[in-house]
Amino acid sequence: MDNLDGTCASLRQRITETEAQLARLREELQDAERAATAAKAKSTRWPMEDEEYARYGRQMIVPQIGLPGQLKLRSSKVLIVGAGGLGCPAALYLAGAGVGTLGLVDGDEVDVSNLHRQVLHRSANVGKRKVDSAIEYLRELNPHPTYIAHPAHLTPQDAPSIFAAYDLILDCTDNPATRYLISDTAVLLRKPLVSASALRTEGQLTVLNNPPLPPGDPSGGPCYRCVFPRPPPPTSILSCADGGIVGPVVGTMGVLQALEAIKVLTSPPTPPALHIFSAYSSPLFRSIKLRSRRPTCAVCSAQPIVTLETLQSGSTDYVFFCGSVSPETLLGPNERISPQEYHKSSSSSFSSPSNPPIITIDVREKVQFDICSLDNSINVPISTILSSSSTNTTTNSNPDNNPPPWLPSQITTSPTSPIYVVCRQGNDSQVAVKKLKALGLDRGGRRIVDVMGGLRAYKRVVDPGWPEY
Amino acid sequence: MSENATFQIHYFSTASAYTGKSTERLPAPLPVARLFDVLEERYPGMRKAVLGSCGLSVGDEYVDLDAELGVGQSSEGRVVIKEGEEVAVIPPVSSG
Repeated sequence: MDNLDGTCASLRQRITETEAQLARLREELQDAERAATAAKAKSTRWPMEDEEYARYGRQMIVPQIGLPGQLKLRSSKVLIVGAGGLGCPAALYLAGAGVGTLGLVDGDEVDVSNLHRQVLHRSANVGKRKVDSAIEYLRELNPHPTYIAHPAHLTPQDAPSIFAAYDLILDCTDNPATRYLISDTAVLLRKPLVSASALRTEGQLTVLNNPPLPPGDPSGGPCYRCVFPRPPPPTSILSCADGGIVGPVVGTMGVLQALEAIKVLTSPPTPPALHIFSAYSSPLFRSIKLRSRRPTCAVCSAQPIVTLETLQSGSTDYVFFCGSVSPETLLGPNERISPQEYHKSSSSSFSSPSNPPIITIDVREKVQFDICSLDNSINVPISTILSSSSTNTTTNSNPDNNPPPWLPSQITTSPTSPIYVVCRQGNDSQVAVKKLKALGLDRGGRRIVDVMGGLRAYKRVVDPGWPEY
Repeated sequence: MSENATFQIHYFSTASAYTGKSTERLPAPLPVARLFDVLEERYPGMRKAVLGSCGLSVGDEYVDLDAELGVGQSSEGRVVIKEGEEVAVIPPVSSG
């Protein structure tokens, strides 16, 4: 076994070295080819190389594009912020279409959970920087464009200097703070912005700040703040990791971003609209006409409170504006147990009046519970617990008289059994413990605790074979 | 106008998750300024959790909610949702 592991490690090492060498050779070849074609182009009467006419012919013969459109694409510089579920398909089609310069901003590395939707990253690139993984693929697809990697998360300090070198920005990110930062920077540097987002089975798409007229000019296109002046409460925000995402849904939105980008670069602006995609509704798309810039907008109106100065000095604080949820610790140390302790209590088959059987409540949503669950655990989704809170506001009411409908019967039939609450990451379980205690279920000294760190921690310290999804 | 006059309201994203439905009919006519009160009554807590950051469309046009709800300096507004119209509650989706 050790021997095999050693062989694998050494092979991996040799492959990495050889790949690095190959990558260097490819870059050298690309430079040489570019120099050669540049030299050739000087001597020809056509504006593009032979190969480009063949490569882009099928889109150039579409009247909306034509040779003028192709030449515009070829001289355009597009920045894609986020090389994930939106950025990958967007970059794929823009590289394919022959955009002259493509910049990619992302500070993350490829994770295996990205691969079902982030179509530029391959299994072999897990652990590699996303920008490098993406550009590797794009270069193989189309060697003509110049690809620029910005391997860092976008910050207010760096955003203006990065954006300045581009003609058009694509927002392919995943959180409100970055979305406001991108929109503000685009307005202040007068760059049009193609913005999209996706979660679960829905997506949104809109072209903002187009035309990109100076702040205060009411004929300019509205910005993200004009459409959504107030950020959503931080507790309501779901990431794709927590809320889930269907690959083709985010893929659809990313491909549409590429399409809108091509239109912005090659055609005059159209009236602003917000397109909503809903995969399980009919119709699949709804388009809403947007209003023009808001006269009270914080950045694109005549009285802006956000300027390049406030942005770069940090006085426009995006994290503060959007709020943040720190990992919750709602419970005291005696209201929590470690996954090891939980494992010990749950696996002891011995029970007696002084040591009654435990009740395990798993508060993940049913769809997650159905993927994998602990033996003898009962599923009560946190959403069910929380949505009933508005109708039952009395605290410390006697649950025996009027138990909420979601309360498992075991809780009332074994009134001394300790209750262990578990979830995916150890946040919702604490909320649920609070709720159970508010119902008075801990009266008589019954123990109600949460399993710290949830099933993620359980996998780490108790059961490595637990499937993490 | 009939007594059973209604309009169709569509919920997206967190609005759909909060109400547990993607669409329903509500009594018309209804001023936009009153819509969030009606929704808060039907779905307690929805204003704070969802509606505060949402966009809203009536027909196929986005509504300036600040003007309708009297927030900030805008003061045009007073859109009334009429029978048979389609309204959409559009929370900002930020992931991707």
